[in-house]
Amino acid sequence: MIPPSPPPPERRRFRVWDAAAAIILLGLAALLVRNILLNMQDAGLHPGFAFLFDEAGFDVSESLIPYSPDDSYARVILTGLINTIVLAAVSLCLATVLGIVGGLVSVGPSSAGRVLASGYVELFRNLPKILVLLVFFVVAVNGLPPVREAVSLGPVQISNRALYLPALEWHPMLWIPILSLPLGAVLALAWRRWAMARFAQTGRPVPIAPVAIGLLAGLPGIAILLFDVPIIPSVPEVQGFDFEGGIRLSLQFAVMAAMLGLYHGAQITEVVRGGIQSVPHGQFEAAHALGLDRLRTMRLIVLPQVLRIVIPPMNNQYVNLIKNTSVGIAVGYSDLMSVVGTVINQTFRPLEMMLVTMGLYLILCLAVTSLLNRWNAALRRREATS
Amino acid sequence: MTGASTWAKELFATPLAALLTLVSGAFMTWLGWLALSWLLFHAVWPWQPAGLCAVRTGLCWPFLFEKTRLILFGTYPFDLQWRALAASLLLLALAALTGLQMIGRTRLRVRAFVVIWVSGLGFAVLLLSGGVLGLSPVPSVFWNGLPILLFLAIAAIAGAFPVGVLLTLARDQGAYPVLRRFATLYIEVARGVPMLTVIFVGVFVLPLMLPPGTYIAPVPAVLIALIFFHGAYFAEDLRGGLQSLSRGQREAARSLGLGYWKTMGLVMLPQAITRSLPSLVNSIIGAYKDTSLVVVVGIHDLISTARMSFNDPGWRSQALEAYILVGLWFFASCAALSAIGRQLQKDRETERGRVSQE
Repeated sequence: MIPPSPPPPERRRFRVWDAAAAIILLGLAALLVRNILLNMQDAGLHPGFAFLFDEAGFDVSESLIPYSPDDSYARVILTGLINTIVLAAVSLCLATVLGIVGGLVSVGPSSAGRVLASGYVELFRNLPKILVLLVFFVVAVNGLPPVREAVSLGPVQISNRALYLPALEWHPMLWIPILSLPLGAVLALAWRRWAMARFAQTGRPVPIAPVAIGLLAGLPGIAILLFDVPIIPSVPEVQGFDFEGGIRLSLQFAVMAAMLGLYHGAQITEVVRGGIQSVPHGQFEAAHALGLDRLRTMRLIVLPQVLRIVIPPMNNQYVNLIKNTSVGIAVGYSDLMSVVGTVINQTFRPLEMMLVTMGLYLILCLAVTSLLNRWNAALRRREATS
Repeated sequence: MTGASTWAKELFATPLAALLTLVSGAFMTWLGWLALSWLLFHAVWPWQPAGLCAVRTGLCWPFLFEKTRLILFGTYPFDLQWRALAASLLLLALAALTGLQMIGRTRLRVRAFVVIWVSGLGFAVLLLSGGVLGLSPVPSVFWNGLPILLFLAIAAIAGAFPVGVLLTLARDQGAYPVLRRFATLYIEVARGVPMLTVIFVGVFVLPLMLPPGTYIAPVPAVLIALIFFHGAYFAEDLRGGLQSLSRGQREAARSLGLGYWKTMGLVMLPQAITRSLPSLVNSIIGAYKDTSLVVVVGIHDLISTARMSFNDPGWRSQALEAYILVGLWFFASCAALSAIGRQLQKDRETERGRVSQE
């Protein structure tokens, strides 16, 4: 038998022209670099990153790591980066919850709910985020009382400078319950695997969720009792001109988180709605015919299919959300972008600073994307094997 | 009557539906009450003295009468503002014409279309900047409010489109691997960084890249940055359209003896652009909304002029009025763009239906 002949190799054409294109690109780049060098020379600067270790000399409005104006530019950039990451993480959770609730309501049984959901989506889809941010900020600054007359919602204090939440007094012993959480998670996963195998063998259902919740909540609880970890609530109270104790969230942070949560929540609502509506109606009917109740239909039939459709656009939303944290500069939240703006004004080193900033944003976005892509791939593999 | 009763039944069919109806009904009533009390009950009407605005919490009509012109045109010389208005109308007309062309109401030839666009944009710049034909010159720092928003958004989108097409072509070919890699890298990086960083590059790094001694004003610098930024997004949309075409199209064009540029220009790109129009319109809406981010680098678009309007002592508490006025403009213009997008989507679905029927 004669094997089918391999396709003819693609003729390698235009290699010369390809090299010419590369040379032209490189030449352009060289021209730009030459101009930059000349311009910087005129300004008396040498390109390089050594300035990052000079003293920054300016303060930031909030910082999660110890920072003082005597620290280096590198440290102030790190401070901004951490603020960006925290803001992104908080608003990501907010947007996801809002989006899922919104999506469920917009396909829900009540037409009043559907009207509300579509109004929400339309409103935020047609407004620029910076406008939404500034409106929230103005309303919060003008509408909320000053610190001395803060609104109390139980232990939560709201003023036009900051939000104060109750927290735990920090103690090194608190590491014990915190570290017992991942242990509980591992044990819960092991239990799930065992229970599934058991169910497959005997056909008798073994409870999974109650045991898992018990493990996750119980282990830290036992650890606290066993090691006598001090649990001291720290409630914000007026001391002089400001509150003491608890966690202080600046108004800028709160407004940014609210804006990002609502703005992307509206877009995630659309994503979730589209995902649920793309599940054929027959799937619901078949599940109903099998005797599954509403909750089980959702959990076992609809949700796995929705998840598969929804992950790629969610990925997109999360990346956009991370990028949009940079709008914080408009209300003076000390995120990466606004810190970098100040550094550029002080040092006149826009080139180096923009390279660093863009690199950091790219890394953040790539990290989230690759995480979600991996999850997506895992889901697809599981689907292929089952 | 029956309609109303089935509607009521639907609202309270199950406990869950009833709960949802009650919660969202209560929420909407509360929002409606807030809106009504702001608009009517606590409003200061046009015939009432402006001083009342400082005490009352509602909408301040005297503020709108006094400041709308400032919000629209900012610090553009007062007696020359007809030029700013004319430029805005011209730019809006260009946008409207493009919208009509997209949904197939007008069928201009590509060449005529390009000529109209280039001359329209040029004429708008001429009106804004002056300096010829007896128009007194106005530096670009004074192009504020609506005209600068429209100019930056529309010129950036118009300039980004050819950039996007070129990037897509560079990414979609095999003969020049270096160009392909460059285009791919460029698109991915531009889509992975915030627009603000790109605006900063335009304002701070771009002047450094020019030969020593040349000066570039912030407005053109930002415009160039926006063109290259949006180009990457358009390229991604166009690539989707190009990839959805069957291989046969290209092969047929080639076997008819068309060269690369004719294959692309006459066969592939027209179809790819038509197919990617819905996602292109989405990107255009995003680009238009994000143009307002230029306030951060001190270009006074609508949001910035709104800020100017309530920075006067005496109007300090009227921030909400100014922002809501700007919000109404954005809401209306984005809704118009979305309507085009929906129409395109509908056209596409009916076309698909027709193809599958045949």
